Amino acid sequence: MSTNAREMGRKEGSFEREPARRVFASELRECRYDFKEGTDEKSPTFVLLPTGERCNRIFIVGTLTEKQRQGDQNIFYRGRVVDPTGTFFIMAGSYQPEAMQQLARIEAPAFVAVIGKPSLYRKDEASTPMVSVRVESINVVDKDTRDLWVLDTAARTLDRIDIFKTSTVPDVIKAKEQYPAIDPAIFRRMAYDALAQIKI
Amino acid sequence: MDFSETADRISRKFQKSGQTIDPKKIEGKLRRLIEEFGVQPSEAERSVTNDLAKEFNIPQMAPGGGGGKSGGITEPRKIADVSPEEWVTIEGKVVALSAPGSPAIAQSGIIADDSGGIRFVAWAKSNAPAMTVGSWYHIESAVVDEFKGIASLKIHSGTTVKESGNDGALIPSTVPVVNLHTGVGSVRAKVIQEWEVTHDRMLQSGILGDETGTIKFVIWKEAGKEKLAVDSVYNIFYAQVDEFNGRLSLNLNTATIMQDDGDILVSWGIVAVRGALVHIAPGSGIIKRCPVEGCNRALSRQNYCPVHEIQPRFIYDLRIKGWLDDGEKTHNILLQRDVVESLTGITLEAAKEIAENNPLGMDEVFLQMRDRVLGRYITCDGREIDNRLLVNTCDRLTFESSEHAALLNRAGGAL
Repeated sequence: MSTNAREMGRKEGSFEREPARRVFASELRECRYDFKEGTDEKSPTFVLLPTGERCNRIFIVGTLTEKQRQGDQNIFYRGRVVDPTGTFFIMAGSYQPEAMQQLARIEAPAFVAVIGKPSLYRKDEASTPMVSVRVESINVVDKDTRDLWVLDTAARTLDRIDIFKTSTVPDVIKAKEQYPAIDPAIFRRMAYDALAQIKI
Repeated sequence: MDFSETADRISRKFQKSGQTIDPKKIEGKLRRLIEEFGVQPSEAERSVTNDLAKEFNIPQMAPGGGGGKSGGITEPRKIADVSPEEWVTIEGKVVALSAPGSPAIAQSGIIADDSGGIRFVAWAKSNAPAMTVGSWYHIESAVVDEFKGIASLKIHSGTTVKESGNDGALIPSTVPVVNLHTGVGSVRAKVIQEWEVTHDRMLQSGILGDETGTIKFVIWKEAGKEKLAVDSVYNIFYAQVDEFNGRLSLNLNTATIMQDDGDILVSWGIVAVRGALVHIAPGSGIIKRCPVEGCNRALSRQNYCPVHEIQPRFIYDLRIKGWLDDGEKTHNILLQRDVVESLTGITLEAAKEIAENNPLGMDEVFLQMRDRVLGRYITCDGREIDNRLLVNTCDRLTFESSEHAALLNRAGGAL
């Protein structure tokens, strides 16, 4: 390997990709607060989970129950992905051509893995925001992968609930401010129910 | 092995300084060093004590350090125990001198005793006598300061330097590579890689390793300096340990180096990551490589090598570049041919067949592989170099009902 390539590799490597958080649909649905880190136009946007973690990217596995092609000039696809707790609303437009083509090929129903960016959108100022997931990648997977995801997501959710109780990190404090009516204990119940749906 | 006695001893020592430390925590640290890294128990005790002392900002804790903080500055201190902002008196042997970088400096180098070594600088204004390599000196009232996190002993006009009667031999003790910290360090390690020289003044650079890990090294051109041989083991005493971009690096110019007949089974610092494959990067799948010996670069679609131009007699290879995500951190991973074959179930032969006969050619291989692995849970073992995980083995995760049961208990336990 040439030194040059190595140095470039190092620079490339020093870039930290935003991790894909694991979150169940019924927690994501409760998100009302998003924020930007930094003032740059390209600064990442984060949605704050009620359990006190920011997410710029999420990884979900569930059942694609329906998909719909929309738009004339600007074609985009919408879809619903269901997990044991609720529904994720996903979309892929012409700005994500690869994701759109992947989604276009998949026939519902199917187990799918989705990597995407959550965002809040409001019909107008006064209305409650909706959370939708802009797809970066979507792929058909098997039931085993879905079950593994439920375990993974339940574990991560329980971790967040544990941290929430005692932590004083800014994101947790912010979550307590932004979601005063939500007791994260409900997400423990949700995780339990999700786990219980997997047949032993 | 039982570490509780040692742990209690360390814990008691800290109790005297008013710190309560859970002996279980100490025991864990000891166990890790001794069982995982094969560190001698006495060295482990020292290392853990120092570590904790640093954590709680307590000077002079290591065993055999003379004990007590009341020693005053005229009592010689062990070099390993001095810390920045202190006025100290030490007795040590000059083990290396390096060319002073500025006219304000009369001499600089490394001075050591049986506990370790430290860098020193004698200011021109100090009027200290010139010291020679191999002689012992009693240095009274010098100041320890810190530059870029590295402690250094400053000999100034208020310091007294006297040649000491001591002429004993000094046998430095080496430490495992993972235990090196910035300053001065001695290791017994094997040269496992040599890199292209990137600078006129550089004689050699590469990677050294031992059973515990690896570290970059560099030797600058200087009279009398020789290159190290790849695959040989060396005892390296009093090298300078620097830090760049959060990585340690050994500068061997100050070091005394002796070749060793033994061999070392180098640990590359194996890491295991378990997570979901969230991205397969372009350039994955089947690729063409430059056939020129020693090159092996990936060719462009037009069979162009950035160095050797058009190469129609390319060699096919498989690889996957991607991101493996555990929900907390995303790891850049690189899978080589055998790992790709076992993970995707597509052999190089099969991939070649697809690439040459399918209308989409090599893209079809990329798509088939992506469809088989993207979004799947896998676990990878490999070594991490420059923030990229080079994967040795890779397996798909399987559903474990014991894990399921444990999570149900955890979630249901507090309902």
